[in-house]
Amino acid sequence: MTEHSNAIRLDPRTELLLLLMANIVAFTYSAPWIEFALIAALSILLTCCGCGKTAVKWLLSFGALVGIQYIVIPILPKVLVIMFSILTVYVRKLFPCFIIGSLIIKSTPVRFLIIALSKWHIPQKIIIPLSITLRYFPAIKEEYRYINDAMKMKKVKGGLKKLECTVVPLLMSATGTADELSAAAVTRGIENPVQKTCIVDLRLHVLDYLCFVIGCLFVLAANLA
Amino acid sequence: MSVKDLITIGIFSAIYFVINLVVMVCGGITPLIWICMPPILSILCGVVYMLLVAKVQKNGAVLIMGLITGVIYVATGQFTLVLLLTFGAACIIAEIIRKITGYNNFKGNLLGYAFFSLGMIGSPLPIWIFREDFSNQMVSQGMPADYVDTLNAVTPTWLLTAMIIATFLLAFIGGLIGKRLLKKHFEKAGMI
Repeated sequence: MTEHSNAIRLDPRTELLLLLMANIVAFTYSAPWIEFALIAALSILLTCCGCGKTAVKWLLSFGALVGIQYIVIPILPKVLVIMFSILTVYVRKLFPCFIIGSLIIKSTPVRFLIIALSKWHIPQKIIIPLSITLRYFPAIKEEYRYINDAMKMKKVKGGLKKLECTVVPLLMSATGTADELSAAAVTRGIENPVQKTCIVDLRLHVLDYLCFVIGCLFVLAANLA
Repeated sequence: MSVKDLITIGIFSAIYFVINLVVMVCGGITPLIWICMPPILSILCGVVYMLLVAKVQKNGAVLIMGLITGVIYVATGQFTLVLLLTFGAACIIAEIIRKITGYNNFKGNLLGYAFFSLGMIGSPLPIWIFREDFSNQMVSQGMPADYVDTLNAVTPTWLLTAMIIATFLLAFIGGLIGKRLLKKHFEKAGMI
């Protein structure tokens, strides 16, 4: 979680809307220049939000993919073309979504997301599991590393055996974590039925509206061009 | 539904989605794996589903898991309405079956899981229902014509039926494997 004092902080609701718009643009796009413009705009947005490094990383990998598509693919044998095409066509199309996704993960703590979602009157029954899910992905990665190490030490061999030895401990620790997390959440009063207040003042600012308008323009351009 | 149930559902949705994602990434490599994805998933995810319904024996557990998975699918760019529709329908059917047979009934859960697995059919389904549009769209997006031709050649209509039946039947096997694993590991440890 990076906090920069001089960076802009967008409202999580704006970021979610942008994510949806990026989705729409990605799946209706017809001209490459719209895609390039979108990537450029998103990189600027990321830089303004204090995630300059991430923006550069995304730009470089996007450039690499474009390079592969226009320079490498024409000279490759056919079998490889098919494999690489999926990479360049599909993965490239998902780039806008990836970029906004990384922005949300880097700049928005989960509690902000929860506040934003409850402002949209999404029921707690969805918000609680959803925020847990988002939080648990990195934990799965970490867990998997430990399990893998343990398997190597115990010299577990064979595909099926390995699968069982991965999934079972993963689910075991998941049930344990569920108990711990719910104990922690209940202690903090999550079951208190009153309307919760929060110290963060989450409001849509001029910049949020600006992002929203630019996003709409991209959707329009993608649908018209 | 208590907070603990909700948190359990959240964590299991994460695991379910990761398993999905791993198979889906493999599906990107050749179209054949993509078509086999629903059957493969129905075998792999049996244990996750069985543990979830054993842990949360309440109305709505499967539906919330399906909803969350669907939302994340949309967020990661798998924005296909077909998938969301089949997924939602499958979860609702599974919920109804659980309600009728009782939440602690293994046979009911197995049947519910079979229907729940059918939800993933929505992922390759556009190949069949919008074949023309789908092929054209892929070509215009810059996929090589070879890939699209291969895809069309390996997906005659009977394969759709075969895939649905395979998914349904393999879900029973997946559910049984799940049940066995639960017995072997979790019941002994007193976790259910």
